[in-house]
Amino acid sequence: MKLKRQPGTGAKMGILFAAALLALVFGVGAGSVYVPPGDILAIVAGRFLGLPLPDHIPESFSVMVLDMRLPRVLLAFLTGAALSAGGGVMQSVLQNPLASPFGLGVSAGAGLGAALVIVFGLASAGIGTFLLPGLSLGFALGTVFLVLLLSARIDRGMSNVTIVLVGMVVSLFCNAVMTLLATASPEYAQRIQLWQLGSFSMREWSAVWALLPVTVVAFLYFLRYAGELDVMTFGEEQAVAMGVDLRRVKGRLLAAVAVLVGVAVAFVGIIGFVDLIIPHIARRLFGASHRRVLPASVLLGGTFLVLCDLAARTLTPPHEIPIGSITALLGAPFFLYLFFAGRREA
Amino acid sequence: MSEKTLLTVEQLSCGYGKTTVIHDLSFQVKAGERLCILGPNGCGKTTLLRALAGVLPCQGRVEADGLMLEGMSPKQRARKIALMSQFSQTAFDYTVYEAVMLGRYAHQSGFPFPVKTEADSKAVEEALRLTDAWELREQMVTKLSGGQLQRVFLAKTFAQSPKIILLDEPANHLDLRSQAELIESLQNWAAEGERCVAGVFHDISLALAFADTALLLDQGSALVCGPVEQLDFNLLDGLYGMDVRCYMKSLLGRWE
Repeated sequence: MKLKRQPGTGAKMGILFAAALLALVFGVGAGSVYVPPGDILAIVAGRFLGLPLPDHIPESFSVMVLDMRLPRVLLAFLTGAALSAGGGVMQSVLQNPLASPFGLGVSAGAGLGAALVIVFGLASAGIGTFLLPGLSLGFALGTVFLVLLLSARIDRGMSNVTIVLVGMVVSLFCNAVMTLLATASPEYAQRIQLWQLGSFSMREWSAVWALLPVTVVAFLYFLRYAGELDVMTFGEEQAVAMGVDLRRVKGRLLAAVAVLVGVAVAFVGIIGFVDLIIPHIARRLFGASHRRVLPASVLLGGTFLVLCDLAARTLTPPHEIPIGSITALLGAPFFLYLFFAGRREA
Repeated sequence: MSEKTLLTVEQLSCGYGKTTVIHDLSFQVKAGERLCILGPNGCGKTTLLRALAGVLPCQGRVEADGLMLEGMSPKQRARKIALMSQFSQTAFDYTVYEAVMLGRYAHQSGFPFPVKTEADSKAVEEALRLTDAWELREQMVTKLSGGQLQRVFLAKTFAQSPKIILLDEPANHLDLRSQAELIESLQNWAAEGERCVAGVFHDISLALAFADTALLLDQGSALVCGPVEQLDFNLLDGLYGMDVRCYMKSLLGRWE
């Protein structure tokens, strides 16, 4: 018998790809001033291919598209892709459809790092715009490392239950320290809170260039472990008995998830629910096989965050809604629906 | 008797943390044999299986198909020994065919993606037919009944093409007919080529129906290991703290 392919996988993936492109173009075009798709294309081609700009496009459009909207939309897409891919991998490694990379302590650590920078005003010391993301990434990775270290200490097999519990405890501790910081210096409390809800505003190309390679490399790395991830969904004992070098694979994948999600969170703050619901939808559409779920998650997650960010900046002008609250508003009910719909069938 | 010895366990000890569950256990399983591992709760049956499958670290010598288990890569080991766990389940939507194909993991290689060969599809089809799960191949594993799911996990174990299959309470949660079919599939599998099965059972009647040799475990040590026909029921009585034969007869008596 020939290997059976899921019917229409290619077509479905094509539709997702087209939707992602549409969302990107629409995301760049929409806003206080509308820029038609043709003009966007001309502007982008002008910048990257050196083609002359058509006369009817004002210079201000070009600046707005290239320096404000395009990097922002790309950053939103990459963040959505990174969070979704990380979420999908995390759920399979822990065999828990409700698991999230944030459970490893990524978000709590990043939040603590960011709060330190905000409160102690390190950013104004002139060391550069990368200090806040840099320190929050450092804290995120440090926290995950601590979680894994403690898990290994408590339980040599590093079972999933241990990791989840230790991740929760360490996260709560980091959050407590952050809350303490915010209470001790109320003048910064609002900035800390806003950072936590995430935002793509004031973002520059530098953030895109930092996140792009990390996302691409991590995605390819995850894909390379697609087979192991498939096997790991059947449980730790089964994965070992089926020939997976569990400790090593698990350690590598968790580290990769931490780096990927840590970098994303460091630039844009904590954006919840994307990592939770997008892999779910991808599995509904494509089945559980990771060779399909991972690309689908990247496309879906990127598209979803571009659209959420569009809503965040256009619904209540001139104020922006924090992106994290939009994803939570949409995500929470949707998640409940997914979960309970699945339950009722079973 | 010149049957090849497939599984040799010598002075095996293992446990969790500082607690040793298995003490200096030694036994052998020959090709074609079906071994049942019996003993009361907590005597180390599941621990033994987990150690043999490489899930738990252990001390001692374990030889599978003539090769030392220690020093084997996880994939090499999985090509020799497969384990069918007690509570196999999944919350992820794989089709039955995909799930059984995952059993081939240890046989696939290639970079960046492992290549599925003709041998893989053949093994999967054979496993699905042997377990009567061929008709289910396009269904989602999350939508199956308990009995169907157990058949699929058995097919996944067969597809792994091991020499030795370890079973942990394979008949749990199965209705009578599914139990009978499971036992039959396993007996048929063990009868072909150089293969053997070692299974943990709580239902002694089922164990005796399935197996031709028995290993009686008492607090992590072998009380007896030999053909089931020679099993001394007085030993069982001591082990379980009750008159086992009398109890079994009283259970069966209701059918007369």
